[in-house]
Amino acid sequence: MMITLLTGMLATAVLAGGVLALAALGEVLAERVGVTNLGVEGLMALGAVTAVMTVASIPSPWVGLLVAGLVGAAGGMVFAFGAVVMRANQVLCGLATTFMGLGLSTALGHNYAGQPVATTFGHVTVPLLSSIPVIGPALFGQNILIVPIYVILPALVHFVMFRTRHGLNMRAVGENPAAADAAGIPVMAMRFWYVTLGGAMAGMAGGYLTLTYVPVWSEGMVAGRGWIALALVIFAGYRPVIVTLSALLFGLVTALSFVGQAHNWPIDPAFLNMLPYVGTMAFIIVPVVVWHRMRRVMAAPAALAQPYYRDVR
Amino acid sequence: MATRAFQRLPSAPAGRILVLRLAAIVLSLCIIAGVLALSGHSPVVLAELILRSTLGSRFGLEDLALFMCPLLLTGAAVTVCGTIGLWNIGAEGQFYAGAIAATGVALGLHGPAIMVLPVMTIAGILGGMAWITVPTLARAYAGVNEIITTLLLNFIASLLTYYLTTGPWRDRISGAQVSTQRLSVSIPEMWGIVHWGFPVAIVIVIGLALVLSRTRWGYEIRIGGANPEAARYAGIPVRLRIISVMLLSGGLAGLAGMFEVAGTVHRLQGGMANNFGYLGIVVAVLARGSCLNVIPAALLMALILDSGIVMQTQQLSASVVLAITGLILFMIAIGDELAHYRPVAGATPKGNA
Repeated sequence: MMITLLTGMLATAVLAGGVLALAALGEVLAERVGVTNLGVEGLMALGAVTAVMTVASIPSPWVGLLVAGLVGAAGGMVFAFGAVVMRANQVLCGLATTFMGLGLSTALGHNYAGQPVATTFGHVTVPLLSSIPVIGPALFGQNILIVPIYVILPALVHFVMFRTRHGLNMRAVGENPAAADAAGIPVMAMRFWYVTLGGAMAGMAGGYLTLTYVPVWSEGMVAGRGWIALALVIFAGYRPVIVTLSALLFGLVTALSFVGQAHNWPIDPAFLNMLPYVGTMAFIIVPVVVWHRMRRVMAAPAALAQPYYRDVR
Repeated sequence: MATRAFQRLPSAPAGRILVLRLAAIVLSLCIIAGVLALSGHSPVVLAELILRSTLGSRFGLEDLALFMCPLLLTGAAVTVCGTIGLWNIGAEGQFYAGAIAATGVALGLHGPAIMVLPVMTIAGILGGMAWITVPTLARAYAGVNEIITTLLLNFIASLLTYYLTTGPWRDRISGAQVSTQRLSVSIPEMWGIVHWGFPVAIVIVIGLALVLSRTRWGYEIRIGGANPEAARYAGIPVRLRIISVMLLSGGLAGLAGMFEVAGTVHRLQGGMANNFGYLGIVVAVLARGSCLNVIPAALLMALILDSGIVMQTQQLSASVVLAITGLILFMIAIGDELAHYRPVAGATPKGNA
């Protein structure tokens, strides 16, 4: 009984956390080069709706995910045009991107709302590995994207960011763009393309949401997941592997509310649905209060949210 | 040498900002017109219809005032917070909290309106303040980013409203969905359906402008926002000022919720905040940190919302308004940045160009 409960919870946690892991990893890329993209929520909504629309005419979840990623990248480029190229206020550009994304996605998805998604990522069972108790079914018995999201992507980002010259350059742009510029690193291009890549990942996170976890489009279905992803990035101290693990931890919080509803806990579902948000608040407040050095250890890139002006020093 | 040199000024002149913002709005409208034309609507017919039914009709003007009332207060809420350099993205949640607190009073306290309304007002303000307390303390004592904490509370407030309006406070009289019963008291109306909350909101905004520009407290807030280090060095208790400003901000948004419940909607409803909290951010950006500018900014935003009603009658979804607002905000953000640049005529770019 306990084992089945645990297995089920972990399976839900892995599914729910995957959406956040993808979006948060994308945001780590953007913030490491010094750009806060508050548009994640909107880009996720756009990705979610375009994935649904795509698979309605082309019945392949891969194409849906690809289109969601491309739309996210396009949205990321729009944001980057304002925040990086034009050097406008990043908070405003981010909020504007979220507004545009949420508004457009609702308008686009009007005819698809409430209908089941045509094709989703099916169950894939990896032989042997999926029979490991508790974690096997969760990691290897669900959809095919789980291993890439939880293992391959974070490992790749970690390797590039901390083990290659390119990663060093990238972090230099986020810490001290003037020095990076002096060393010949193209600050603008670096920022532009990593923000675009982060946007693509946010779009794919939205697509992943509708193609696996919640296979139906409805207005407001992203429900703050983009903001939670942003909070996870802060919580994880801008580190790719930790951000992925905290997304999983966060998936567990979400799974808890499902378990509660399934087992008829004497708590109103509305309160169980608040858990992810309350959990996120606790995630970013409690560690700093408990351990004051946390703020220095997990510090943000020094030039985060500061536009770079070559001509003004 | 071509004269392509620009100099970035530390602060942008007001005239240049005005020109560039106008350009930004015109450009946004052109993009919107283009999209509408592509999707088979006639922008000219639509524009004419919008003008006729917003500014050109009594109902349109009344709606405009009703939209302006909450926007004035949420816009002021974001503006005062911005004065000390903080973003209150949670006005939406504080709006709900104020509305919930006021509704609680109205449902539980029976008596003449003259007694109940003041209690509701205080409850609304306290509700908004209570809702921003955690982000405030986290910001003041642990330096936790207020953007995310205030925002997350919006979702919690909206879920709480949903719970109350479908659970303990659901309408048992007329059976309206996701709503409480009609409240027994309401803010009296002064002009058509426009209630007295509207002039009160304007007075509050003007009062805030005076407090911020004329009092010692306001001065300390402005210094704290402009240069926190200098403020601390000058002996200004920045932490206490942050707490007071954020609580004030929450209280303003809560009051907006109370006005909406008691003056316009007359019941607590799921989704009644209608993005007023988020649009308050847009109003504050348009107002550029000045409370007096909140009035024209709220008017512009209310006009956009008012035209949204017209667009809904033309088979355009209500969400289009949010997208349009986003586009205008985006263009204005860029315009504001461009306003910092001054062409340096005839100058040859020096070494670093």
